[in-house]
Amino acid sequence: MSPTGREVTITIDGREVAAVEGEMLHDAARKGDVEIPYFCYEPKLGDPVGACRMCLVEIEGIPKLQTSCSTPVREGMVVHTRTEQVKEAQSAVVEFLLVNHPLDCPVCDKGGECPLQDISYGWGPGKSRVIDEKRHFEKPIELSPLVAIDRERCILCYRCVRFSQEVAEDAQLQLIERGDRTFVGTFDERPYVAPFHGNITDICPVGALTSYTYRFRARPWDIEHAGSVCTLCPSQCNVSFTVRDEKVKRVVTRDNAEVDDGWICDRGRYGFEMFDAPERVRGPRLKGGGEASWDEALEAAAAGLRAAAGIEHTPVGSNSATPSRVAAIAGDASNEEGFLLQRIVREALGSPHLDSRPSRGPKADVLQRLAAPSVSARVREIDEADAILVLGTDPLHSSPILDLRVRKAIRRNGAKLVVATERPTALDGGAEAIARYAPGQAAHFVGELASAIGGAENVASPVAETLREAGKVVVIWGERIAREDGAAEALLEVAEATSMASTEGSGLLEIPDTTNARGLREAGVLPDAGPGLAETAAGKSTEEIREALISGELTGLILFGADPLRDFPDTPAWEEALTAADFVVSFSMHENATTAKADVVLPLETHAEKDGTVTHPDGRLQRVRPSASRPEGVLPNIIVLSELASQLGLNTGIDSQPTAFAALTEAVSFYNGIEDADIGGRGIRWQDRRPEVDQAVESDSPDTQRDAPTSMVQPNPSPRGVASAESLSTAPPPSNDGSLLLGTYRDLWAGPITELNPPLKFLAPQQRVELSLTDAERLGLNSGDQVRVSQNGNTIDAQVQIKERVPAGVAFMAEGVADGNANALLNGGPVQVTIEKRSEAGA
Amino acid sequence: MPHQLEKRVLLEHAEDPALRTLDGYRRLAGGYETLERAYKEMEQDEVLKELEDSGLRGRGGAGFSMGKKASFLPRGEMAKYLCCNADESEPGAFKDRELMQRNPHQLIEGIAIAALAADAGHAFIFIRGEYDEQADILDAAVAEAYEAGYLGTNILGCHRDLELVVHRGAGAYICGEETALLDALEGKRGNPRLKPPFPAVQGLYGGPTLINNVETLSNVPHIVRHGAEWFKGFGTEQSPGTKVVSISGGVRRPGNYEVELGISTRELIYGLAGGPEEGHEIKAFFPGGSSSPVLTAEEGLDLPYSFEAMAEAGSMLGSGSIIVCDDRVSIPHLALRTARFYHHESCGKCVPCREGTNWTVKMLERMVRGEATPMDLDIVSSVQQNIIGHCLCVLGDSMAMPVGAMVRKYREEFEAVMADPELVLDPHAVVLGAPETLGATT
Repeated sequence: MSPTGREVTITIDGREVAAVEGEMLHDAARKGDVEIPYFCYEPKLGDPVGACRMCLVEIEGIPKLQTSCSTPVREGMVVHTRTEQVKEAQSAVVEFLLVNHPLDCPVCDKGGECPLQDISYGWGPGKSRVIDEKRHFEKPIELSPLVAIDRERCILCYRCVRFSQEVAEDAQLQLIERGDRTFVGTFDERPYVAPFHGNITDICPVGALTSYTYRFRARPWDIEHAGSVCTLCPSQCNVSFTVRDEKVKRVVTRDNAEVDDGWICDRGRYGFEMFDAPERVRGPRLKGGGEASWDEALEAAAAGLRAAAGIEHTPVGSNSATPSRVAAIAGDASNEEGFLLQRIVREALGSPHLDSRPSRGPKADVLQRLAAPSVSARVREIDEADAILVLGTDPLHSSPILDLRVRKAIRRNGAKLVVATERPTALDGGAEAIARYAPGQAAHFVGELASAIGGAENVASPVAETLREAGKVVVIWGERIAREDGAAEALLEVAEATSMASTEGSGLLEIPDTTNARGLREAGVLPDAGPGLAETAAGKSTEEIREALISGELTGLILFGADPLRDFPDTPAWEEALTAADFVVSFSMHENATTAKADVVLPLETHAEKDGTVTHPDGRLQRVRPSASRPEGVLPNIIVLSELASQLGLNTGIDSQPTAFAALTEAVSFYNGIEDADIGGRGIRWQDRRPEVDQAVESDSPDTQRDAPTSMVQPNPSPRGVASAESLSTAPPPSNDGSLLLGTYRDLWAGPITELNPPLKFLAPQQRVELSLTDAERLGLNSGDQVRVSQNGNTIDAQVQIKERVPAGVAFMAEGVADGNANALLNGGPVQVTIEKRSEAGA
Repeated sequence: MPHQLEKRVLLEHAEDPALRTLDGYRRLAGGYETLERAYKEMEQDEVLKELEDSGLRGRGGAGFSMGKKASFLPRGEMAKYLCCNADESEPGAFKDRELMQRNPHQLIEGIAIAALAADAGHAFIFIRGEYDEQADILDAAVAEAYEAGYLGTNILGCHRDLELVVHRGAGAYICGEETALLDALEGKRGNPRLKPPFPAVQGLYGGPTLINNVETLSNVPHIVRHGAEWFKGFGTEQSPGTKVVSISGGVRRPGNYEVELGISTRELIYGLAGGPEEGHEIKAFFPGGSSSPVLTAEEGLDLPYSFEAMAEAGSMLGSGSIIVCDDRVSIPHLALRTARFYHHESCGKCVPCREGTNWTVKMLERMVRGEATPMDLDIVSSVQQNIIGHCLCVLGDSMAMPVGAMVRKYREEFEAVMADPELVLDPHAVVLGAPETLGATT
């Protein structure tokens, strides 16, 4: 019985408690401030299992005690939680649990924050009657390279196994053996390697599952918990840092159903040792000169930028006849940092050249329409959607927590999933229909999809059918499709065709390429829009900035939390651009190939150190709070930017997070009036803030309902590579030289995350080239073969992996890996690559 | 020849090996005539009403009205299932084995008619893995029934379908618990599910499911053939019908005996099973398998053998399996052996059963080794109390009730063994489980 929403009144321990009919008694009791002990109950894991028997209570009219976790509330229910009968039963369950528990609390990491300890103290018999030997297991042993398991401490509550089977759906954890011989393990004792597996350490109610990164590092009485937001990907999960001696020792979940549903991925959980990595930039540095003082560094930066901008003698604000020759690109930055950066570039350096995207993207007017509240989905709406379209992204890699969210919607709510991507995704198994389009054909496919929803018969029809029949549709789309001209406009047509604007619970949810992409755009870090997406004089986009640096049209560059040599397409061109630039200022957390080429390197705070706000892809402003101390030579990012502005003659009036936030909310029309208290611990979607804000934004942007753009999509005259099956229906014909179309993707574990965090090193992906069986046969290649992949003179080495679901005619490679980064081959648009066996290539 | 105290309905003609075949079943027992009539002439509600009116109580242990259970299934177009629980694993119970071995078609006909009442299109016989021979017999009989058109699509041209699959269990007592059976059938670890939802509403693959024991379903053709009134002519008001009773342990003629419910227990044990061996007396007995609280001879021998009489005496009729303990049986050893079985078979899902069975075994082991104190006896008793009624399914109670009863009723014997472990009557004089032969009907 699921909650009906009807308000009922029940009586617990003589007190009347308001409840919702059908909700579990345990939840109703908790809301009524009645604590009922429990171990196995965890609504995040799905339906209750009633295994631990700890929450037994007496319900009048029912002879046997009932588990409150699995008893739906009914009007007039009379419940007793503290009668002798209940106390005896609860005390008995505690006694039973301790029959085999080692009670090694003094040396257990869970000691002090252990539900078993707390419940034994609160509800247990207080003394033991057990003199018999307890069960023994080898302990602790590696459940995975990151998690240790102590099977003697395990109370077999089933939580970790339910997580593996019913939340992550990796089905790796199993209960093995029977009765009191039962233990948690994996088939054949293989390591439990899965991207979310660290969550089992959070939900374990005893010290059976502990992270190697935290074992014996701290005790609960000498740690502090600092609630913040993980900014390692656009999911922006709410986390709590466990801090000891001002250092982060652990990252745990901080449940927010609006954002993360109470889970975090292993990237966010174990990616904290990099805060102290040897590669960390610990102070300002000048090219060739090594460490510099902040004064020296900021002076040097200001002088260099002024020189490059050609405003050496021009006062701020005056309209210089010569256009500014400085540009800036932001990557990982907070809203306030982005806001300050765009003020520096626009106001102090007089330049319109500013971007926050890795290559290119839609124009400001299209961004405005995409941001309209009426077509925006909130994360929580995935739960209730009738149909979900995953378009041009694989959430597991790009926003991992949404992968779990989509699985949940299918498993618990029967949502229908359709997937339309270049590359096979982790969610394919649960999809009703799958469409594969060729790299470079996203815009065309989305256009076809919009017309198919409208009734046309085409390659997108199987996907369209599911969407057409559904009421509430959520489209989770990857920002990178919008690098193609017309894709974003076509997406708006899909929104129109599915009546998103008029359907409550329907909407678009973007997965951007960078964590705070939405916040940076809204703060004005765009070539053609200022704060609040207000249109401005058009500057150059990231790609255009690169070309202008090479041509000499631009001479100076500010990089804020961006590493083009790792993350942006076309590495050789970026090498050239950075070499050609006269002056480069790089703000960076860690040393990398880009900082090595910079004239001034300024250190950045990590997300555990900084203070600021970020905006979730669904519009939720969230607060990143300082949790740990900065290295001595690192200053708050906002102060540094404000200082740099002063050196350039711009007085921003910003000297702290509150002043920066106030300036931001004043400048961004739809953030107007939002205060820090509104954000609180859970964040606030600006769309939910006030209805009049909604209207303001809607009227700012072209009305999606009034003038549905119909001519925006320019269908490819020779449509290629769109199919509704696992192969492309019109794959590129095999060329004589055996070349294939290259598709690239960002792997969850590619990038500095696995290089700067020693515990995650074992997950670092090697470059592979994924081929269909057809192409592999044609090229005479087998899985495991070492090959050389070439494009226009650039080559990278990779290992062949034949994948059944890869469409013929396409080869997939990972971006951002340490060796053989596929960005090196992305020489504009979709590219063809040739693949040769390395022995044949003479390697 | 059947003994005069027997009343054979299910076991009629059981001694004739021809009964196993379709031809023999038709010739000897008028087999499938009832199915034909039910499929051709009766509506779902008529069959259901007959079963409800008969008052047939489940023969698997719980004794719940079979017709009422079938009536709980929701009506509608969803896929519904029928599962025959043939996972007979309770120590002392071996009646289903004999029913399937000797008269497999009676069960198949019962399933087909019950499927009509439940509107189920798919049926399973979940048979205990160790019943290999019986599973082979069922497989052969099911094939014959398909061949003859009693199973499959468009049965007897009546536009009704029924697929019947014989599924062999992998050897776990817990899979006889109806919801664990469903999980096992679905290919999962055989663990009990939380109830509600009950299987009648949400069972196999989430569909409404009727689960009945072999003997229960074997009664169905007879009830539909002769009518509810005929059926109620046997047995008592609250326990109508006949019952196949497995009698084992310290008796001269162990085996299965079909009798009218309500017969005197003394007549069952002495008259049919031949009473204790020469020179011995009956000390106690389990009236309904190893999970029923033991009754002392004084308490139980003169009670009528019916659901209600056994319940009133603080025990239960269960699956109808009597295990007789003569005066050589050491009750502490019997308690240990009982506890060991349930400890071995506990699935481990819920805490009181998993830890309670384990702890009880350890304490009883200490007792029979002479390493316990009288305080331990109180702890054993209190542990049994702490298990009863607190578990997810009845497995925990199945140990706690008999062990608790033994400690309560034979405390002096426990104390004597604890004081001097050498003072054992005969630790091996316990028979829990089926005898080697098929019993008196051979």
